[in-house]
Formats: sequence, structure tokens, C-alpha cells
Amino acid sequence: MNTTTTIPVNRDVKAELKRQAAEMRQDFARRGTLVINVVSSPGAGKTSLLEATAKHWGGSRRMAVLVGDLATDRDAQRLAPFCPVEQLTTGGACHLEIPLVQRGLEKLGTNDFEFLFIENVGNLVCPASHDLAEHVRVVLLSVTEGDDKPAKYPKMFRTSDVVVVSKMDLLPHVPFSVEAAIADARLIQPDLRIFTVCSLTGEGVADWCEYLDERRQTLVAANAVEETASQ
Amino acid sequence: MHEASLVRSLLRQVSDLLIAHDGQAVETIRVEMGPLSGVERLLVEIAFKRQVNDSLCCGATLQIEDVPLSAVCRDCGDEFDIERFRFRCTACDSPRVQVTGGDEFRLLDVDIQTKEKTIPTQATP
Repeated sequence: MNTTTTIPVNRDVKAELKRQAAEMRQDFARRGTLVINVVSSPGAGKTSLLEATAKHWGGSRRMAVLVGDLATDRDAQRLAPFCPVEQLTTGGACHLEIPLVQRGLEKLGTNDFEFLFIENVGNLVCPASHDLAEHVRVVLLSVTEGDDKPAKYPKMFRTSDVVVVSKMDLLPHVPFSVEAAIADARLIQPDLRIFTVCSLTGEGVADWCEYLDERRQTLVAANAVEETASQ
Repeated sequence: MHEASLVRSLLRQVSDLLIAHDGQAVETIRVEMGPLSGVERLLVEIAFKRQVNDSLCCGATLQIEDVPLSAVCRDCGDEFDIERFRFRCTACDSPRVQVTGGDEFRLLDVDIQTKEKTIPTQATP
């Protein structure tokens, strides 16, 4: 005779992945590495922002980049003159996941970085659902894309910490309201930090880099407190 | 978005439960999803139909509960549903709102068939 038993679970289907990401995030923090997941639609200027960031720092920070791309290593070639970089060719996958990041880290061969940038695949949808063990998620929004993007892609903006409005040099030529885009984004995520940059001219890049330094200092300090407390 | 792989993971987790509880078959799998779950109901249903009979959960039905995006205000404590992704308290307009539901694809519970344990009858002396 069979009977039916209800087994309560009440757990996120992705709970195990989330736990793994949280553990990696903690490991990065212990090593003093700030991990930044850079997301945007294709062509918003992720690689250009990273080039501008590396140029601004001029080798004074230990940074590395893992860059996701469906088919080419062109982004990696662009970044190679500035810092260690590994291409994660996804072969068609629309976003990065932790195993790809782990493989990239192995290829980098060392983990002694102050800043690890993960340049995601250009896509405002799927990368929003994948925690890559980052401390900071930054979404780029170029002025040529239109100021309606935050409202149209709420999950991406909800899960981000920073919005970088890029290609500011083109603002006079396009009907884009920075104020409207920011207002929409802040309705979705009130805590967003906003930067306006032009990677080509370097406008706004110093503020962005200063923010990254501050975030890393906060991370290192919080971890030091934790280490002391646990001793 | 990535419904097929999420459903694969769901079926693996339920199969593990079936084994752990020494069950005979899975009858019903109840899940919930909401506006920020990152999954589309129809695509989950299609992926489930395609995969379920190739798993230990063969013959199981999937019950999907749609939940709203719910939140609590960190300033006034009001609990409310977020409409059209406007993350503002509906009582005091504070932006300090914490999402409490509707942003995950959750496995709620599972009905499994188990063999009724026969209670060993004491041999009468």
C-alpha cells in the first residue's frame, strides 16, 4: 500500500549556485581582490571603459580582466597591452557563469590582483540572473541606446550597484535625457551610484576610478575587522 | 532565459529528495515564481514536459504558483506589492524597500509516494 507524503523544501532552485558564489566572493575579499562584473548591451563601451580605467591607473594598480565573448578574442587583444587578460569564449552562451570564470582564473595563473574585472557578454537580460561572485555589478548605459533602457530591463538595473552612462561626448547629437534615465533607474534601485563618462576623452574616468579605490578600501577594511573578530 | 537548465537542476534536486526519502515516485512538484525570477512560466512548462519523463521524477506534475513582487519598507515597516517595478513604499514613499518575494524561482514542496511502513506485529506468545 502506497501513501503520499509531502516533503517541504522552500528553497531557491539556485541556492547551491548562490552559496558557491558567496563563498568565492569571500575568498576574493580575503585576498584583497575587488571583483567587478561589467554588464551592458553590446557596444555600450565595456572594453573601452576598461581600457580607459587601465590607462588612468597607468600600471599603479594590480588589475586583471576576464572578458566574455561569443566568438572572438578581439576584446582581449585590445586589453592585453594594459594588464593580464583572459578571453572566455562562450561559444554562443549569452552570459557568463561561475565555471567559466573559474577556468579563466586558472588560465591567469595567479590571483594576486587588487581589481579583477569580469567583462560579461553584451546582453541586458541573462547576465542579470547570474552571480559571478562579484562585489560590484556595474551596468553601462550608452547615450545612443536611449534613456528608456532602465525601465525596460528592470532586473539588470535592480541587481546592479553602479550605472555608468557612457559615450557622453555624443550626448549633444542624440535625444537622451541623463536625468530621465537616472530617475527611472533609481525608481528600480534607489542605491545606485551614477557616473557619466566618455572613455575616449577620459571625461569622468577619474571619478569612476576613485570610486573603485574606495570600494576596495572598504572591502579590505571590512575583511580586516572580520579577521580580527574571528581571532 | 535559461529555463531548460533551471528545470534540469530542479528535477535533479527533486530526484535526490525521492532517493533520500526512499520514495517510489514523485507525484507533484510545487514551485513559485515572480516578476524578478528571471524565468518565463510558459518556457518552464515546456522544458518540464520535455525533461520530466527522462528523469526519476517520471510522471510527476508541476504546479507553478505565480507570486507578486513583495516588499517591506525599511522606514515605516509597511508590507506591500511592487507594481510596475516601482521600488517605493506605497505608504510613505521611502525608497528604502527590501524585496521579500517574487525574485526567485523557488521549490516549495514535493509530494512523493512512499511504501507504507508495515508495523511489525508482535508475535503473541
